[in-house]
Amino acid sequence: MNGFLAVYRRELLSLWVTPLAWVLLTVFLLLQGAIFYSIITHFASMSEASVDTGPLQAYFGQESIFLLMTLLLVCPALTMRVFAEERRSGTIETLLTAPVTPASVVLGKYSALLTTYALIWAPTLLYVVVLRKTGVVDWGVVGASYLGLLGIGAAYLSLGTLMSAMTKSQLVALLLTIFVEFGSFILGVGEYIFEPGVFRDICAHVSMMSQMEDFSKGILDLRRVVFDGSVTLLGLFVTTRVVDSWRWG
Amino acid sequence: MIQVEDLTKDYGTVVAVRGVSFSVGKGEIVGFLGPNGAGKSTTLRVLAGFLGATSGHVRIAGHDIAKAPLAARRALGYMPESAPLYPEMRVSEYLMFRARLKEVPRTERLRAIGGAMDRAGVSHMAGTVIAHLSKGYRQRVALADALVSNPPLLILDEPTAGLDPNQIRDVRALVKDLGSDRTVLLSTHILSEVEATCERAIVIDRGRLVAEGTIEELRARQRSTGLELRVRDPHAAAEAALTAVFGVSVRSGVTEETAPDRRRLRLGLDAALDADTVTEAVVQALTAAGIGIHALVPEQASLEQVFSALTRHEPSAAPEQSAETA
Repeated sequence: MNGFLAVYRRELLSLWVTPLAWVLLTVFLLLQGAIFYSIITHFASMSEASVDTGPLQAYFGQESIFLLMTLLLVCPALTMRVFAEERRSGTIETLLTAPVTPASVVLGKYSALLTTYALIWAPTLLYVVVLRKTGVVDWGVVGASYLGLLGIGAAYLSLGTLMSAMTKSQLVALLLTIFVEFGSFILGVGEYIFEPGVFRDICAHVSMMSQMEDFSKGILDLRRVVFDGSVTLLGLFVTTRVVDSWRWG
Repeated sequence: MIQVEDLTKDYGTVVAVRGVSFSVGKGEIVGFLGPNGAGKSTTLRVLAGFLGATSGHVRIAGHDIAKAPLAARRALGYMPESAPLYPEMRVSEYLMFRARLKEVPRTERLRAIGGAMDRAGVSHMAGTVIAHLSKGYRQRVALADALVSNPPLLILDEPTAGLDPNQIRDVRALVKDLGSDRTVLLSTHILSEVEATCERAIVIDRGRLVAEGTIEELRARQRSTGLELRVRDPHAAAEAALTAVFGVSVRSGVTEETAPDRRRLRLGLDAALDADTVTEAVVQALTAAGIGIHALVPEQASLEQVFSALTRHEPSAAPEQSAETA
């Protein structure tokens, strides 16, 4: 696990001393700010508020399509370089000839990405603080919503890490990740398109929008958590196998 | 320190290394020699554990790299070709990362990094971002990285590639210095490098091991095929006398400008005959013709000649050699 910590710290340093994380943070916060502002003005103009909805539920739930769109932008950009860059520059050779296992390399890098993802979300906690000034905030809803976002991020970052390990080109990694993640997002939209049946159930099961809608109501659906977790673990497992396979290239 | 048995590595249909066996003992500095594309880097990558062998066994410091990869990698410091580094990190940050990765105990890390930077000569660059370093300094940082865990074995892939002559001299001196207390295996296609730093060389060509031995042994492999002769010969009679000797051809004859009765001759000897017998016949023929012999020097093969003879791809090409000796 020594290797894990070393890789984790280096990856985190690399993410934050290069402009990438800062650019993503800025773009992300600008977009979130715009979404949040429009939701707030919308609620402010409403004459009477209903009981089961509020700006927070709208932000994390009903209107989560905007929020997920920004994730489809941010997550692939965050993961594209993680392995592709090391393979292009050759540093992967020094990394893999150190006494570390492929699993600790993959986990170290992935954990750094997940930490960065969490750090990028952290400033949005201010929105909750802002809302608290004017009304009551249901902390259960806030907690569940962030848990939902963490689950989606974990799955997206895992898939992105895998795509980055599949190619030496950051651009190809970016495009592949967008393709896969946007594809899964579109599959989720199928829930609103198809007739009731098995296919619609599948779409509903993988839908990130439905997940956020449930979580924003404070409903912690274990199936959602298991789904996110399985995608994450599968992605990391395959990535480890891919890294291992480079020895035989 | 290194035992390689029947190592083969193929990339799909291309066989990069075939059936190579050699060993490197403790404390040796061994040159791994071969023309470009001979399979040097592939072999070193297998030894370092970056690539898996298609077949064969490799033991590093007694650990089989297939069965105990981590133990084997702990015992070695590896510097890949072209010294890849993370450009965004500072030198000290990078070496700290490498020390952590290589399991240098926490309390010894700072000392290990300082020592490695001192030996590689980059101490004054500790705070510099790697992207701003010149090629020579990057090479040294990579070398410091190989040294940071103080491994008993160093594997260096073309450590002097792309450096200027002064830097090459520095790196060679450093390698020699490092070799005093550890085992070093370094690859190169530059022969003078092997002669300057190594005690022993392993020559590979097109994936096969073609020669192995000390520098002297390698040189001895190339038989003397020429004689250089200085004679007192006012009438240029020596050449006529020599043409009668079986197995000798006169390659050139030059009269010395300062002394018109002295000639300098270069003779080629038939490779199929024993060089000593022919030399004897040459002396007898010259003495019989009444020509005074001032000097008789067998041409010694340079490592360059040995190398080109070993790695020449057309076996029919006659070894046409130059007179320069190493």
